[in-house]
Amino acid sequence: MQPLRIALAQLAPRLGVLDDNLASHHETLAAARSGGAALVIFPELGLTGYQLQDLAAEVAMRADDPRLVSLAADAAGMSAVVSFVEEAADHRLFISAALLEDGEVRFVHRKLFLPTYGLFDERRFFAAGDRLRATDSRLGVRLGIAVCEDFWHLAVPETLALDGAQILINVSSSPGRDLAAIHEVGLGTAASWRTLMRTYAQLTTSFVVFCNRVGMDETISFWGGSEVIAPSGEAVFTAPLFDEGLHFVDIELGDVRRERIGLPLLRDERPELHLRELRRILAERTDMAIDQASEAPDGLPAEARAPDRTKAHR
Amino acid sequence: MTAGEDAEADRSKVGGGGAAGAGAGPLFELPPELAIDPDVARRVMVGFIRNQLRQAGFVRALLGLSGGIDSALVAFLVAQAVGPESMLCVLMPYRTSSPESVDHARLVVDQLGCASDLVDISPIVDGYFGRDGELGAGGEAASDAAPLRRGNFMARARMCVLYDRSVLWDGLVAGTGNKTESLIGYSTLFGDSACAFNPIGDLYKSQVRQVAAAIGVPEQIIRKAPSADLWPGQTDEAEAGFSYPELDRLLFWMIDKRRTDEELAAMGFPAPAVGRVKRLVAVSEFKRQVPPVAKLGPRTTGVDYLYPRRRPGSAR
Repeated sequence: MQPLRIALAQLAPRLGVLDDNLASHHETLAAARSGGAALVIFPELGLTGYQLQDLAAEVAMRADDPRLVSLAADAAGMSAVVSFVEEAADHRLFISAALLEDGEVRFVHRKLFLPTYGLFDERRFFAAGDRLRATDSRLGVRLGIAVCEDFWHLAVPETLALDGAQILINVSSSPGRDLAAIHEVGLGTAASWRTLMRTYAQLTTSFVVFCNRVGMDETISFWGGSEVIAPSGEAVFTAPLFDEGLHFVDIELGDVRRERIGLPLLRDERPELHLRELRRILAERTDMAIDQASEAPDGLPAEARAPDRTKAHR
Repeated sequence: MTAGEDAEADRSKVGGGGAAGAGAGPLFELPPELAIDPDVARRVMVGFIRNQLRQAGFVRALLGLSGGIDSALVAFLVAQAVGPESMLCVLMPYRTSSPESVDHARLVVDQLGCASDLVDISPIVDGYFGRDGELGAGGEAASDAAPLRRGNFMARARMCVLYDRSVLWDGLVAGTGNKTESLIGYSTLFGDSACAFNPIGDLYKSQVRQVAAAIGVPEQIIRKAPSADLWPGQTDEAEAGFSYPELDRLLFWMIDKRRTDEELAAMGFPAPAVGRVKRLVAVSEFKRQVPPVAKLGPRTTGVDYLYPRRRPGSAR
């Protein structure tokens, strides 16, 4: 099998300057093409910058915006993931990542989890997506696309892998913080992300591709460190911290098969069990009827059958 | 092992700057939990300075160089960010300032090879408070002002000079306050805290020392006792009643790591010290925020008119 060449565009978008960022995306697509890339990945909000606040509405685009279609035309013959502020028909604003293929916007993922704590304030300015689906691609494998914080929720990589994704793609604008000498590469954020991505790759036996931006918005420094992790959990490639660059990484899709035959974790997943227990947990949280099908093990007191946890959850 | 013993182990100090000063002992005391990677910190701060200037449409920067470690570190960072030829250091002594302060500031200027300017603020300050029995512009009410009033006035006089010089130099004023003094309010509002941007405002004093040592700030500046130099013999630590490493550790666990009073006590921090520092932080909250505006209209700055400071069109 031919290796698949991925181009990671670890760019530093200019905050709110859509035209400049569109130009840099066009240039990067051309460079990726001459480098022989089949899959080009840009960071979260690479077309707009991250710390937009009230600027979000001013740089928003519909998914069928001619400017995106023009990028898609430049990506013809390749697959490209770009990220922008999407304005829906009902004028909700989303942080979206679009898969561009064969001159069209093939698929759009809307960020599901909007961090609104600590230095983050996304929920104030954006609506949360409510669809989580893997997508077919011209690469012959399904892709799972997620945006930054989406990967801080276990269900996201798991669901994407169960939906058939063999390459999990996370596009990020991760602010570097928690500088401490005890952390790997001196940055707490980098240490956490690296742990997550290796774990997801191993548990889903999929490739994990992480594209994180660099540069600064206001007071925030984005740390880069984009990575490609093999289904074994080992890093295939790690980009430098803080430096802008276009990085080419070759992966063997055959590694997914090898790993999944040798370590059939995905085969052994129990989504029906997960679903049943999630239904029960949800019912308990919302005081709805308990699923009578779930039985308490023999010898446990009656309370164990219908645990009185609802009070604690209120 | 009890929590207290555990905290004792935690409190063991590591010396910093081992490479410097043969036989002179460690250059400074660095609580281990505050140790950072100086190179990562330097990269972030240098990038921050470049970005702030670029987005505002400026190439040059200037700062008030006191001879102390904070402004010395900022001078080194700005020099790395924009080159010494684009930086101006302004020395602004008062007649009672320690001569050592100006000497140390000159050491930094000479090492970096940047432009410098010396403005003696004595006539400004004495012109208001008066001198040798003569009343100044402040009249009777200013003639017997306590040292704190005079010190605050000096800090604001320096701000006036610096902002005036910024027009001449065509640059932005870089701030030089550190996280420790900001949190306990050991700064003058609209005085030394006034700036266009501050690269070191999220570094505790101990961390300032760590980065300063790594970046090549002269040893005698790192070694000397920190002082606002508002009156002869003044030192920060004597005034605050804490040593910086102890204060930094307490602030780090209290604020960054969200430890409760009980947890801090179990770690070995004396309750009275914890109480005092908490009060200092609370009463100085106003110094760390922009002045509040009464909400009247449909959109109010800082409330529901929220734009990035630097955005398209913000460069002059």
